[in-house]
Amino acid sequence: MRLSTGRLLRIFFQSLFIQTSWSFPSMQSMGFLSDLVVGAGDAKRAEIVKTQKGLFNTHPYMVSYIVGAAVRAYDDGSASPVEIKRFLTVAQTSFASAGDLLFWRTLRPALLLLAVILGVHFGVVGPITFLVIYNIFHLFHRIKGIHDGYKLGWDVIYLLKTRRFKMVRQVFETVGALLSGLLVSLVAIDVHYLLVIPLTALFMIMLVRRYSAVLIIISVLLLILIIGMV
Amino acid sequence: MNAILLSLLGAVIILDKYALGEFGISQPIVTGTIIGAIFGDVWFGIFLGAMIQLVFLGGLPIGRDIPPDGQAAGIIGVSCYFLLRGSNSMGHSLFVAAVLALAGGIVGGALEIYARRFNEKLYHRFMHHEEALYMCHTAGLLTAFVRGLCLFIPLFVLSELLIVPDVFPQITKETLTIICISMGFANSFYLFVKKTTAIFLIIGGLCGLALVVF
Repeated sequence: MRLSTGRLLRIFFQSLFIQTSWSFPSMQSMGFLSDLVVGAGDAKRAEIVKTQKGLFNTHPYMVSYIVGAAVRAYDDGSASPVEIKRFLTVAQTSFASAGDLLFWRTLRPALLLLAVILGVHFGVVGPITFLVIYNIFHLFHRIKGIHDGYKLGWDVIYLLKTRRFKMVRQVFETVGALLSGLLVSLVAIDVHYLLVIPLTALFMIMLVRRYSAVLIIISVLLLILIIGMV
Repeated sequence: MNAILLSLLGAVIILDKYALGEFGISQPIVTGTIIGAIFGDVWFGIFLGAMIQLVFLGGLPIGRDIPPDGQAAGIIGVSCYFLLRGSNSMGHSLFVAAVLALAGGIVGGALEIYARRFNEKLYHRFMHHEEALYMCHTAGLLTAFVRGLCLFIPLFVLSELLIVPDVFPQITKETLTIICISMGFANSFYLFVKKTTAIFLIIGGLCGLALVVF
């Protein structure tokens, strides 16, 4: 059996809903099962639901690689449900970690910084640049992931060592650092802007000491309240 | 009327946060542009969206961790500002919008936890009725949409009706910029600066300074 364009598109479309029913006990379980059933075919639905339900969580863009490989396993019919489950357990954590580092921690914040700088200076160019570049990477992993997962089967996990993940992350870390410096361009030459230095230090201390995100936002809120009242 | 329509739009956009696609449309810099365009002031929409974006740049939704909802904060901040601006001064509108955005971000995070707890019920239903997989899964869209409505309707209606008294605190665009940029610097240094990338931070900083001076 081969992965036709129609089937690839159906898996891709369903993968857009991977987190729709995210819940604490099962996380993306229903989303993953829906995607897998769409890929493997409705005939295998009862078997898939019976043997693969349970906790599932990975990075939402990386699920394509896992679904691709799992659909291949169901198509070949050579692996037992237990072996497939074992692959899913290993793959979901590996791809989650890689996806979180690549997208949530590096690519998205770097591109958002770019969007902010461009947006403040040139208007709509900023958000449009963000949406275009971000979605090129996003959709590449969603679509190519299904294709590569199906082609490589369980060896898809070795893709995590390739340039697609490592080099892109390194490049965007560098871009992010460069853009962090370029944020200075949003500051005006005015004595009031000297306040940025102690405030940045204060927020940095809170971040480095791993204060909760809620506490940090509350401190920004209090700062605005105090300055507003003064 | 504007408040209800904006709430519906906001609830649709917020689906992009996790329930549908995750294309980045719900990021504050993008929603600021969209809402700014609706109210006929794209530049200020982008500015406000950019400032809120900098505050929430470091919120990473990793694993079970649900940080404050930066996307909801963006929609609330920009929408409330334009709704308030109709009958209030710029300083008062900015102050109230900024406070509502940050508070809304925190409440939005809490509501997200409730929404996901509600999804647990859908999951349990699916466990007992395996044939209802698609129905239970798709119902999550409704949960996410209703969460958005519950968050936006009260705040937007309040902003549309509120007339802030003159004695109420206010904030200037410059002050908001100073606070948000400080948070943006802290977030971006925390995310990107390490030994191997420090040189690029310095190069970027020098280029930024050159842009400011010349």
